[in-house]
Amino acid sequence: MKIYVSGLYSGGNPQPGVGITRSLRQGYPDATLVGVEYSNRSSGIHWPELDEVWLQRPWDELNLSAHGEAIRALLDGGALWISGSDLETMWLASVFPEGHANLLTPNAAALARITKPQVEAHEGLPVQIPPYIPTDRSDWDLHAFCRKHDWRVWLKGPYYDAVRTRSWDSFEAVRTTLAKVWNTERLFLQAHVTGYEESVMLCAYEGELLGCVRMRKREITEEGKTWAGDVSEVDEAFLTPLRRILRELNWTGGGELEMVRDADHRLWLLEMNPRFPAWVHGATIAGVNLPALLVEGATGVAAQRPEPGRGEFTRVVVEVPVRSEFPLPPLPEHLGGGTGHSLKHPSGLPALAERLHKLNVLDGGDNETSSGGDAPTVPNTMVEDLLAQDFNRIETPAWVFMESTAADTFKRAAAMAHTLSTNQTRVTNAYSIKTNPDARLIKLALDSGFMAEGISLLELHKALEVGFRPDQLILNGPGKWWPEGMIPKEQIHAVFCDSAPDLKKTVAALNSGELKAKIVGVRIRTPHIPSRFGIALDTPETFKSLVESIATLPEDTGFGVHFHMASSNIGVKAWWRLFDSMLRWCQSLERLTGRTIEVLDIGGGWFPDDWHSVDHSDFAKAVKRAQAALPNVGQIISEPGKAMAQPTMALAMRVLETQEEDGEITEAVVDASIAELPMYFHYPHRVLTQDRGGDWKTLKRGKSQLMGRLCMEHDVVAANIELPEGTRAGDVLVFCDAGGYDRSMSYVFGRG
Amino acid sequence: MYLAEVETRAVQATEVPEVTSCTVKWDSWPASTISHHGQACCEIAREWMLANDFSQLGDAAALTGPRWLPKKYPWGPSPWPMHWCEAVGRKKLDCGAHQAISQELFTARGVQSRPAQFVQQFSEEATRHWGHKWGEDQVPAGWIDGDVIYHEGCAVTVEGDEIKLWDASAGWWIDPQQSGGYGALLSVRILDPSAEAPQTLSWGGRQLALNRWNTV
Repeated sequence: MKIYVSGLYSGGNPQPGVGITRSLRQGYPDATLVGVEYSNRSSGIHWPELDEVWLQRPWDELNLSAHGEAIRALLDGGALWISGSDLETMWLASVFPEGHANLLTPNAAALARITKPQVEAHEGLPVQIPPYIPTDRSDWDLHAFCRKHDWRVWLKGPYYDAVRTRSWDSFEAVRTTLAKVWNTERLFLQAHVTGYEESVMLCAYEGELLGCVRMRKREITEEGKTWAGDVSEVDEAFLTPLRRILRELNWTGGGELEMVRDADHRLWLLEMNPRFPAWVHGATIAGVNLPALLVEGATGVAAQRPEPGRGEFTRVVVEVPVRSEFPLPPLPEHLGGGTGHSLKHPSGLPALAERLHKLNVLDGGDNETSSGGDAPTVPNTMVEDLLAQDFNRIETPAWVFMESTAADTFKRAAAMAHTLSTNQTRVTNAYSIKTNPDARLIKLALDSGFMAEGISLLELHKALEVGFRPDQLILNGPGKWWPEGMIPKEQIHAVFCDSAPDLKKTVAALNSGELKAKIVGVRIRTPHIPSRFGIALDTPETFKSLVESIATLPEDTGFGVHFHMASSNIGVKAWWRLFDSMLRWCQSLERLTGRTIEVLDIGGGWFPDDWHSVDHSDFAKAVKRAQAALPNVGQIISEPGKAMAQPTMALAMRVLETQEEDGEITEAVVDASIAELPMYFHYPHRVLTQDRGGDWKTLKRGKSQLMGRLCMEHDVVAANIELPEGTRAGDVLVFCDAGGYDRSMSYVFGRG
Repeated sequence: MYLAEVETRAVQATEVPEVTSCTVKWDSWPASTISHHGQACCEIAREWMLANDFSQLGDAAALTGPRWLPKKYPWGPSPWPMHWCEAVGRKKLDCGAHQAISQELFTARGVQSRPAQFVQQFSEEATRHWGHKWGEDQVPAGWIDGDVIYHEGCAVTVEGDEIKLWDASAGWWIDPQQSGGYGALLSVRILDPSAEAPQTLSWGGRQLALNRWNTV
């Protein structure tokens, strides 16, 4: 009996070839085991239990047709083949569309039905698929997915690789890398599931399940790979549907279902691999030799049974002698400034992926990389606002005030506050002046029943100049007393202290009569979320100190609590959890200080779509929870932050020059820069341009870079955009969603 | 009664530390509880523990173990009796304190939890080091007997009579599949003096009688 085993890479994220070999040697001591590899850098070729090594050139150098024919000859000659590589398995399925009795890998139809992330074939198993979104959607939608899932998301490659992306800039960087490595835009974002990882490994021949085991990871590498585990039987509730599914798929070969079990005991399926996992020999040690069972099922030759084990296994690092016929190759010279290291894919699997794309073996085919995904949509008001402008008469770069969009935004927020208010608790909006101090927006806030929130005395005076009354002002932030001598003489609505010294100073100002405020409160920083603002509650000492400090507040002022965290950064669900966490701390403060909380001031940093485009049931429920937890709260001040300002301005810019390669625009220089779009790295902006017919169209993702006018390396205002054909110098591009911190934090640079 | 009180009782030297002899030795040990001065000092400390747990839990299921507790207060010698205001100020807490606080945290989350007492196998080498460490801090080490130790944790109700065992010091759920050896759980006793308590609890397919030692 001669068995070929591929996938011998044995680095930190190993392939299963060596494990399969060890198990086959246990089951068939006399079989001839031939290791197949595509690089002499894969250390598994030196595993001593291999009788022979069939070393091929890396995938980018291989003649696939000749290699396919060579394998066919081996199989026809009676040899068996067990693949340890997903991509090789997919390629073999294309070479042998009808299968081959000695090819112990799944067929093409079965592979199509286990494509991740949806893994169609899972229906019937007691598992769920974590939420996901393909990255061919617009950046606007992808950002929304990340916010919805609290930025606990994984960006995953189509075959291998998964990287946790906790922010937009990291997502963009990883997307660029994975798309380049795997030569495809068909990546996907998947929500993280917290829990313990476990797998079911199986083997089947022509649809008949031959054996399977469950394995729980007990030690995990930094890459999340198994280092130790325990092996047990698969329960009947899983086994019955699994048996049916494998029959339907006419599955041949090894396989693995990778799952996470959450605290509520639910199983989440991450992927189904068309091969044995790298820990395969761990199960053999535990007494279940699946590679041998597979060979036995295919040949009818009885395998030697393994000794019953105690159900647990672990890995160790083992040095083995190098085979004399395959001496170690030299380590490549490192690139300038770098350090030498081994390749992640020495056999050139990315090159195989690229070739399989071209051969249409993998989804997408040769032309799919040109896909720029969906174009994002914009509200009608934005288009109306742009149509109202005469860009021929606008000197760029220029901020465009989106008048009807702004009016609509404030109107919605006012209606929402009205709807959420109850007889017991009034919900009041507050406009955060720092998000955009444009007088037109402050006036809109005033006319829409907002209060004004300032983080400095200068901001309060700006609000007063626009028409706010002192009793409509809220003072916040760590530097609120700057500049000196500008504290309003009249009573303002509320002051929230950012630190223990701030609280002390505020109490002194109240006692001296320098400051008059209806409500005095504290901004709290709940544990577990990093922030530099507010009074920390993460140690018992600071909590005790806060409790004692609150006792020093004058009795004739009302007491309030403020909490602020950017929802766009931590995610929507996380923000509402923080709200509940804040309520819990407020209950403790009321209980321990004897002071009742009359005002809750909650913010902020909401992404506009999360605030304006959804129903308000979350907020309505939150008001009820606040009333239940803190019965004396008469007012909830809501600070949506940039949700108010961001949609209200756009940045218009002109193309200065374009550079083409193979007839496509690869780079364009524009007269705007990151000085006007400082938030470019933090969230996607919808970009519009006017077509020759005068219609405004949003641009899709593409291969062009928009370079800012500055002589700064990082001045790239769009890294991947599809510019319309015929774009030329003088054309106007409009970046929407620039009315928040883009506007207020823009700076003068490169203007002499 | 506190862990320290019972620890100060003379622990008779035994020959081979078999499970039964150990459980007899620790039979009279109650589960540890944290005391309250009845004043603001303890009230503030207890409120901080409960509110902090709420924050730390985030969106995780209520059945998630309070892993933050041993992270903030690693396992180590603790003098007894212990009050809330003392517990929050300590650098380290022993298993009795971890258990007693976790018990309160689970209860505050609305999860039923009962104190659990364990007898675990280690090695003489390990227990000698622990004994030395406890001695340095002048804290009795009656929880050590040869290569076997007394330990505390929480029996957390999953559903009905089904429980999981939380090792509040290690920050992990004890595996019901035990096969002996270093670190193995030899015996467990779950305490619940209430009349409504069931006679047995189910732990990973095993039936554990309440209020008495069960050999694992």
